[in-house]
Formats: sequence, structure tokens, C-alpha cells
Amino acid sequence: MSETFEKKALIVGGGVAGIQAALDIADGGYQVILVERTPSIGGHMVQLSEVFPTLDCPQCILTPKMVMCGQHPNIDIKAYCEVESVTGEVGNFTVKIRHKATYVDWDACTGCGQCEQKCPTKAPSEFNRELAFGPRKAIYSPFAQAVPNKRVIDPDHCLKLTKDKCGICAKVCPTQAIRYDQKDWFEEIKVGAIIVATGYELYKKENLTEYATDPDVIDGLEFERILCPSGPTAGVIRRPSDEKEPKEVVFVQCAGSRDPDKHLPYCSRVCCMYCCKMAMLYKHAVPDGQAYIFYIDVRTDGKMYEEFYQRGVEEDRIVYLRGKVSKIFRQGDKIVVFGMDTLTGKRVEVEADLVVLAMAMIPNPAGEKVKKVLNLKTDQFGFITEAHAKLHPVETGIDGIFVAGTAQAPKDIPETVAQAGGAASKVLSLFSGVEKGQEAVLKELTG
Amino acid sequence: MKPRIGVFVCHCGLNIAATVEVSEVVKAIKDYPGVVHAQDYIYMCSDPGQELVRKAIREKNLTGLVMSNCSPSLHERTFRNLAASEGLNPYLVEVANIREYCSWPHQGDKETATKKALTIIKATIERVKRNQALVPLIVPLQKRVLVLGGGVAGMQTALDIAEGGYPVTILEKEAYLGGRVRQLDRTFISLESAPDLVNEMIDRTLKQPNIEVLTTAQIENLSGYVGNFEVRIRQQIPWVDPDKCNGCEACITACPAEVPSAFDRGLVTRKAIDWTPGERSGDKSIFLDHQVCRRVTHQENCTACQEACKEGAIAYPEDRFIEQTYGAIVVATGHDLYRKSALTEYAEDPDVLDALQFERMLAEDGPTGGKVMRPSDGKVPKEVVFVQCAGSRDPDKHFPYCSKVCCMYTCKEARRYKEKVPDGQAYLFYIDIRSTGKGYEEFVKESVEKERLLYLKGKVSKIARQGDKLLVLGGDTITGVQVEIEADLVVLAMATVPNPGAKELARLLNINTDPYGFIQEAHPKLAPVETLTAGIYLAGTSQAPKDIPHTIYQAGGAASKILSLFSRKELVHEPLVARVDTEICAGCGYCRDNCAFQAVDVDPIRKKAVVNEALCEGCGACATACPSGAIQVKNLDSKQVFDMISIVTQDYSLQP
Ligand SMILES: Cc1cc2nc3c(=O)[nH]c(=O)nc-3n(C[C@H](O)[C@H](O)[C@H](O)COP(=O)(O)OP(=O)(O)OC[C@H]3O[C@@H](n4cnc5c(N)ncnc54)[C@H](O)[C@@H]3O)c2cc1C
Ligand SMILES: Cc1cc2nc3c(=O)[nH]c(=O)nc-3n(C[C@H](O)[C@H](O)[C@H](O)COP(=O)(O)OP(=O)(O)OC[C@H]3O[C@@H](n4cnc5c(N)ncnc54)[C@H](O)[C@@H]3O)c2cc1C
Ligand code: SF4
Repeated sequence: MSETFEKKALIVGGGVAGIQAALDIADGGYQVILVERTPSIGGHMVQLSEVFPTLDCPQCILTPKMVMCGQHPNIDIKAYCEVESVTGEVGNFTVKIRHKATYVDWDACTGCGQCEQKCPTKAPSEFNRELAFGPRKAIYSPFAQAVPNKRVIDPDHCLKLTKDKCGICAKVCPTQAIRYDQKDWFEEIKVGAIIVATGYELYKKENLTEYATDPDVIDGLEFERILCPSGPTAGVIRRPSDEKEPKEVVFVQCAGSRDPDKHLPYCSRVCCMYCCKMAMLYKHAVPDGQAYIFYIDVRTDGKMYEEFYQRGVEEDRIVYLRGKVSKIFRQGDKIVVFGMDTLTGKRVEVEADLVVLAMAMIPNPAGEKVKKVLNLKTDQFGFITEAHAKLHPVETGIDGIFVAGTAQAPKDIPETVAQAGGAASKVLSLFSGVEKGQEAVLKELTG
Repeated sequence: MKPRIGVFVCHCGLNIAATVEVSEVVKAIKDYPGVVHAQDYIYMCSDPGQELVRKAIREKNLTGLVMSNCSPSLHERTFRNLAASEGLNPYLVEVANIREYCSWPHQGDKETATKKALTIIKATIERVKRNQALVPLIVPLQKRVLVLGGGVAGMQTALDIAEGGYPVTILEKEAYLGGRVRQLDRTFISLESAPDLVNEMIDRTLKQPNIEVLTTAQIENLSGYVGNFEVRIRQQIPWVDPDKCNGCEACITACPAEVPSAFDRGLVTRKAIDWTPGERSGDKSIFLDHQVCRRVTHQENCTACQEACKEGAIAYPEDRFIEQTYGAIVVATGHDLYRKSALTEYAEDPDVLDALQFERMLAEDGPTGGKVMRPSDGKVPKEVVFVQCAGSRDPDKHFPYCSKVCCMYTCKEARRYKEKVPDGQAYLFYIDIRSTGKGYEEFVKESVEKERLLYLKGKVSKIARQGDKLLVLGGDTITGVQVEIEADLVVLAMATVPNPGAKELARLLNINTDPYGFIQEAHPKLAPVETLTAGIYLAGTSQAPKDIPHTIYQAGGAASKILSLFSRKELVHEPLVARVDTEICAGCGYCRDNCAFQAVDVDPIRKKAVVNEALCEGCGACATACPSGAIQVKNLDSKQVFDMISIVTQDYSLQP
């Protein structure tokens, strides 16, 4: 161990896991650098409509935490950044950070949004899962409550950067913040501990060849955006192909999960609950519609989850069909879903207007590089392996490097928050132990 | 000074705006007396929303804010902090809740909702006009933690806090640490030995210099508040002196009190004085269980063991009491299984076990040395039926909730059974197989394939004794046929319930439990390890059923909250507390009798009520009890309440 112990933490990934860990450590009195690769922190949770089992809106429960992160004197958010390389050891990591070119001087940008209003170019919005009805501009911030509230230019679509035309944003910007010639730049920081919270992505729909690639066959996150009151349809339920209100919606659970032969053997853990939730929300929005859910097992095992599922069946009359869907195909205006109800032994055929696939959760591919530069062990699917599943579930086996959230395994928000608290406590005990000069403790922790 | 109030109306996306005509509200309130600024925005809590408020405070020189949005429990603090950052006293900000109180209940009825929103806002404006600028109270902070329960949850919380450099006391009511995990055989999914796993943790706990462990100890009394909980602990002093005892067992033979062993779940009996349950075989010691001893249970002056002991190792000292101040408390009192006898449709039969009994039977340190045998006749069972959801997911007769761990441990137990009895058959009745953790799905699949476990989807309707066999009747909902199995042994995966005594403990600590008796967290997502009482946290299965990994990181979560708390020099308490007007107070003491927080007392000499501000939660119970209006809550005094009521009576033409 070297003499100086940097009591400052790096958190990679600004989803709810990273945010919670950052707040816990910062409230404990230590500096945190929160690196997020997209223009805003928030992760997948801010994309959701409402969250089970309380059905409160993530806007109401996450945005305040995001704002707290943005304003916390101990938290330095580095958005639109990535970790390039890491050297050193616990207490003394040197981290090289890439600031991706935003083409906007963030010190000058006030987030007024005039540029975005005037920009003539539309591009698919990652935040809206590239749904046809929710494009963004070439200069944009991903969503209204973004933290930090700054704009970035998408170099693949900007007319100025691709064709040297337009330049409107530079003209309208009241603070002259636009920098078309900006390049990526690098920064080196020193930290004592690292938490990896790079989150998840969904397995690609296209991998399921037995299910039609049809605009009206969507994944769970796409449907979350359609359900969301502040989403691209303002909470009005529409299907992508013709913007009609769907009257029959089929949810297919375990799409890609629990399928060791063709796809992924593991259970993605949250789909049972979110399908039930989305079916409920759909029914609240379209009371005369019908929701069907195909399932293998209904895994609603958290606190008040079973009760939630009962409510879905009893109050919202969701029809649960036990069995796997063998085929989905388009027939005129409808999408036909073929399945087997293993309880009655009968074949079921539903003519649906919209099909929602609960795609398996996979580790966010954007986290690959970080895991590589940190030399982290992962399982065969890429989830970070914890030092010991029971006794050390937030340690990675490398001193001073911890894991939180869905980067470790699929899990829901309450569990993510709890695990993030667990990771933060490790960092807090490490720093506070060092501060108190407890040699013995230190030795035990650092080996 | 004339009030200059700003009113901010939030759309909350569509949550409010779809039901309340926000622009109309703003228009109507703009010219209300005292209002100098009114504005709406889609998300007032967002960065740009907050910036609007800031700008208005600065430019319009506001003296008070009425934030018309969601419940104050969500964003009161957000907006008060915002005010403070602009130099406006935070207690001049109030929330008019037009979401939970208005737009949500009146969905689809714009007219009613818009009118009501206006009334709520006007009433709040009247309140703010009389609000006073207040300064938070500063309270000293004792940086020492009390952990109730020495299971894996309690030990992990204690370890994390101790490693952070703060002293921790673990109170464990049993004679051993480790909780339920100490009773298990192996753990899913690694199938590693549970005693090894937990012993490693116990070693770390005992070696950690900042941790003090008090076994056979319980909390007797609690007073005080976050930062300064005054705790009285009762600890039984061991009646056997370990230095003198040579383990001859003479005392055990002599002891007349024999009861079913709680540790071995009644599979065997034990004497009041016997080997300590849950100890490693290496360092066994004799332990006298006070709860079983006739001196305690029958108030007899039995001295059988003392007389039998040649070494003079036994004495009967009184319990000792310890008084200590703690800054924070963690409840980690764990869980138990629902009583088998509650399931009347299943036979009360020696060969019908609950899952923990079966764990004891599988365990190498258990009463059978790990041999699987029927309690009735000691035969090796060849057909074993496992029944999942026994008492769980049964809203009509038992508990509606899912116990979360039984699917996994049943699979594990069936697998372990097959490892020990390879020619036996295991049947598992289930409703859904909930194997949702990392690697859990794979574990179940592998177990089914490797050990040929037979899963049957359906509920068991009856278990009845038939000669040598137990007849298990169940429906297989997949094939639709009725199944009948002649079993040698039945294992019930009984519902997880809170440890007995959790309710009384909750009452003593002044925290809430849910309808089933689990400790209630403050918010499932925002505050999952906090209780509603500041300074009291929770961890593990005392909150809800969960497995070891989840328990461990929840415990870490509780520790991190406490480490954050302790990183401050002192604590800050809301100044919204009761205040006594000593001119009027007659010292009757009604306020004291009505206070749930023991925050008011009557000075015996001056005959005046005195408020302990650090304890006062500002609930107002005293103010309603006071016959003369002498005690009032700051910023919610009766004048303010009446002003608000008159707005409502005016708007709705009611007779006050
Ligand atoms: C359709 C759907 C509905 C759901 N509904 C619910 C619900 O109702 N209730 C509930 O409890 N849970 C729900 N969930 C689960 C919930 O989304 C997750 O539990 C939660 O979002 C996990 O948070 P996280 O921080 O681990 O990951 P993420 O939200 O994925 O955040 C990870 C963050 O890290 C960033 N990142 C990735 N790589 C890098 C890198 N290399 N450098 C810097 N930053 C990086 C990402 O950009 C992202 O911001 C749902 C999930 C789905 C798919
Ligand atoms: C049959 C069975 C098999 C299981 N198998 C597995 C498995 O294989 N893998 C896995 O991950 N999980 C398993 N579990 C779950 C596991 O037991 C729990 O996750 C774990 O025990 C939770 O630990 P805890 O500390 O919250 O509670 P507990 O283990 O219940 O510990 C609570 C402690 O608090 C003490 N206590 C209670 N009240 C008081 C009081 N008033 N004052 C002081 N002390 C008090 C108790 O004596 C006890 O020591 C199993 C559970 C059961 C029932
Ligand atoms: S959370 Fe509250 S303040 Fe934020 S948008 Fe919703 S109602 Fe408005």
C-alpha cells in the first residue's frame, strides 16, 4: 500500500444504483465522481411509466434524487464520459476519463433549449427506444428532467457536422455555447475506491426468430415509453404501425429467458412483475381492452408483490395463460399469437393488436470496456461475479472495487437500491476506517 | 411587512394537469391578496422547474412560497432546501397537495378538481402568511450503535459499522449467534455448509474490536430519540462458569426439566442444563437455559445441577442490567416459520415435518447426524413429498404473501435428500417455481435433471395417515388428474413469519409493523432500510422474507445509512415543535398524557408544561388536548388552522 489514501470514490454508471450509492457516500462526507456515458444520469428507471408495486411514477421518486446528485457539494457528475483506463490499487487508483465531444460548451450552456426547438433535423431518440412517434432533434437533451440539464449534438445527424450546412443552433444560442470543432478530451483523476453500476440492456427482439419482426411487436421498455404520461404519446396508448388504440394486448413473458436450448438459461427476475404492472396500467388507460399474459411461472416474490398480482387478476381481469408462445405472425390488421395453455392442454390463438415481449435482461454492452480495464470476473453471460454470493455480494474480489445493481444480475429497483446501499457502506467503512487510522481494520480490508 | 407570496403550480406530467385545469388555477390565484407571483410548469421538481422558482424568489423578492404539487412527504424538503439556497427561510415554504388530495381522487372530473385545487392553494396561502422563520434545532449525536438480533443480518450490519470505526453492541436473545442460518444444513445454490458459512462470519464478528456481543440479552426499555437513545438491556448471566466446568455431564443427568429442543425444532429433547445449542463441536460448553429451568418456570428452589456439580461451576446469579446511550438502532430480529398445526387439513403426525425440522435432520451436526429417517420409527423414507406454499399465497385461509425462499430451499432439501437416499423419490408440489436469483433457475433445472426430482403443479388438499404411510392427495393442474402419493415422510415449506415478539418489540421501539407483523420500512424504494422513527433502521427477514444474499446487502444498506448519519458532528431536528405560552398554561398535564413521544412534562414547581424539543415530532396531539390553547405547534397554530378552515367554508358556502 502506498502512503496516500485517496478518500474519494468513482462510480461508473448513473442509473438508480449509481445514484443511490453516490448519495450515500456523499452524505457520508466523502467526494464522489459519478461517470455516466449518456448525456444524463437516471438510467433505465427514468424511462419507466410507473413502478411496481406502489405504482408511483419514477419522475416523482427518482428525479428528486437526480436533482440532489446534481446539487450535492460532494458529487461531481461527469456525464457523456467514459472510463478509458485504470491503474493502481485500493486507495490509489488512477483513472483516465474520456469526455466525449458534446459540441457544446457545457460551462456556457444554460439548458434553455432554444437550440433544440429550432434544430430542423430529427433523429431516433434512444431515450424513447427509437419509437417512431418519439424522435428527438440532432441537438438534444434526452428528456425534460435531465441532470445535468445540458445539450449535446449528435454528430451522425447534425447537418453542420455531416454536410457543413445549417448551423442554426450556433445562431440561436444566447450564450454562444456551440462548438462544432470540439474534440474528445481526456482527464486523469485519482480515487480510492470504485463502484461499477453499468446496468442492463434488453436482449434483442430480433434474436427471437419465431416471433415476427413487426412494428407492433415491441419490447417491454418500448411499451413503458408508450404508457408513460410524459412519453412520446403523452400516455395515450397507441400501437406503432398505425397509431390506433390496441384493444387486445398480449404480453409474452420469458422472451429469451429460461430457454437454455435456444437463448439464455437464466430468469430475468423482473419481467413477471412488470408485465403484470404494464397490463394493469394498460387496463387503466383502456378499460374496455383485454390483456393476456403468457407465462411459465408467475414469480411475484417480493414484499407486497403477490398481493399486487392478485389485484391484477381480480380487479383488472388480466387473463393469465400458462404456456409458451410458439409463433407470432401478422394477419392483416392483426397479429396472431399461437400458444399452448399447459393447464387446459389446449392450443390458444389470440388475435392481438399489439404484442409486448418481456425480453431477457442482459448486462449493458456499454459496460464491457470498464469490466475489461478493471479486470473484473464475469459469468458466462457477462454479469459481474461477486466475491462470494452470500457473504460478499457487493465485493468483486479486487480490493476497493465493488458492484451494484443489474450489472451483477437482473434485479428490481428495491433490490438495486438495497445493494447500492450495501456497496456504499463498504466504501464508507473503508474510508472512515482509514480516517480513524485503524491500522488493523485497514490491514484486514486490504489484505 | 406585507407578504409577497409566490404560488407555483406543477403539472406532474399529466398526473395533475389531466385533471386540474392548471392554467385556470394560475389565472385565478394571480390576484389573490398577498400573492405577487404565480406560475405553472410541467415538473416543478426538475432542474429547470427549480430554476424558475429560484428566479422568482430573487426577482420578486418573495417572502413565502406555496408549492402546489404532490404530497409534502415527497418534495417539501426539495423546495425548502431550494428556498434556503436563495436565502429565504425554508419554513416560509409550504406545500399545497393538489395531487394526492385532489387530482388523483377526482380523475375525470375537471370542474370539481380545479375548484378544490384552488381552495387548497388559497388555504395554504393563508397559512404561509402567518408562518414564522424558524431555525433547526441542534442535537448531540452519540456515535454508538445497537443491533437487535445476531443473525446474518445483524452481524453484517455490525461488521460494516465497526469497520467504519464506530462501536457496536449486538443483542442476541439466544445463547448463540447466527440465527436461523446456524440451524441449516447446506445453502442454495452453492450447497456449501451453512455452519461453515455462518461460523466464518461469527469469527469475524467476535474478532472485530469495535463489536461487543451480548448473548441471552434483550432490550428492556427505550427512551430518547435519534442520536440519543437511552437503552436498558437485560442480560442473563450464565449460570455455568466455563472456567470451572469440565463437561462431565453430571448436571445434565441430574436436571429434572426436559423439554423439546428449540434449536433442533423438537426432533429431540434437551434438559434445562445441556450442551449449548448451535456451538461448533470444537468448543462445546454447557449452558443453562433460564427459560426452561424450574427455578424460573416454576419459581422452585431447585438446585439439582448445583448439587451434582463436583467442580462448583454452577451458581444462580440474578440477571444484570446495562444502561447505555446509542445514536442509532438496527432491528434485525429475523423470522420464524408458521406453525404446522395451523394447517388443519394436513395431519398432525410425527412424520409430517416443517422445513426447518428437515434441515436439522439433514444437518451433520443435527440430532440424527445427518441421516434422513422417519421420526415415527427411524426408517429411511423412500417416498418423500415436499409441499410448497404451506400457508403462503393463501389469502382465504392463511397468508396472502409469498415467502420468497421456500421454492429454493425446497429444491435444495429435495436434492440433499436424494444425495443421501439415492433410491428414494422426491415429489414437490408447487404453484409456481420462483427461482429468480442469480443462478437459481439453473440450480432448479440441474437438480431436476440430476436427481430426477418430480415437480407436480398443484395444491395438496389433504394429508392423512394410512397405516405405515401418509396419504397425500393433490391435484396436478397440468394433467388435470388427481394425484395420490403414499409417502413415508412429508415436508411442509411453511410460510415465513416474523419472529414471535416482533410486535411487542415494535411497540417498545415505537415503530410500525405491516399487517403480518413484519417491520414496516419507511418507503419500499426511497427508504427501504429506514423505519418511520428517525434513527431506527431495519435489516434482513424482520422486514420481509428474503434469502441470505439479499439479507446481506440490505444489512450493508442499513450500515451505510448509519455511517452517513455518523459522519456529521451533530444532528439537526425540525423546529416544527410545540411551544407553551406560560402566561396561559395552568399545568393541568393533559398535553403530557396525550403525547405519544414522551416529549412534554409538567414542571412540578412552576406548574407549567415544558416541551423537550428534541423529542417533539410536532404532531399536535397536545394542542388538541389543551383546554386553554396554551400549547401550540409552531407554524400550525390554531389561528392558522382557523384561517384555513374559513377559506374552505367560504368557498363551499358551509356553515362554520
Ligand atoms: C420493461 C421494464 C420495466 C421495469 N419496471 C420496473 C418496475 O416497475 N419496478 C421495479 O422495481 N423495477 C422495474 N424494472 C427494473 C429496473 O429497470 C431496474 O431494476 C433498474 O433500472 C436497475 O438500475 P441499474 O442502475 O442497475 O441499471 P440501469 O438503469 O441500466 O443504469 C445503468 C447506467 O449506467 C450507464 N452506463 C452503462 N455503461 C457505462 C459505462 N461504461 N460508463 C458510464 N456509464 C455507463 C448507463 O448509461 C445507465 O445510465 C423494469 C425493467 C424493465 C426492462
Ligand atoms: C428452512 C429454511 C431454509 C433456508 N435455506 C436457505 C438457503 O439455503 N440459502 C439462503 O440464502 N437462505 C435460506 N433460508 C433463508 C435464511 O434463513 C434467511 O435469509 C436468514 O436467516 C435471514 O437472516 P436474519 O438475520 O434476517 O434472521 P434470523 O436468521 O432469523 O436471525 C435473527 C436473530 O435475531 C434474534 N432475535 C429475535 N428477536 C430478538 C430480540 N427481540 N432481541 C434479540 N435478538 C432477537 C434471533 O434469535 C436470531 O438469532 C432458509 C430459510 C428457511 C426457513
Ligand atoms: S413529483 Fe411532485 S413536484 Fe415533481 S412533478 Fe410530480 S407533483 Fe410535481
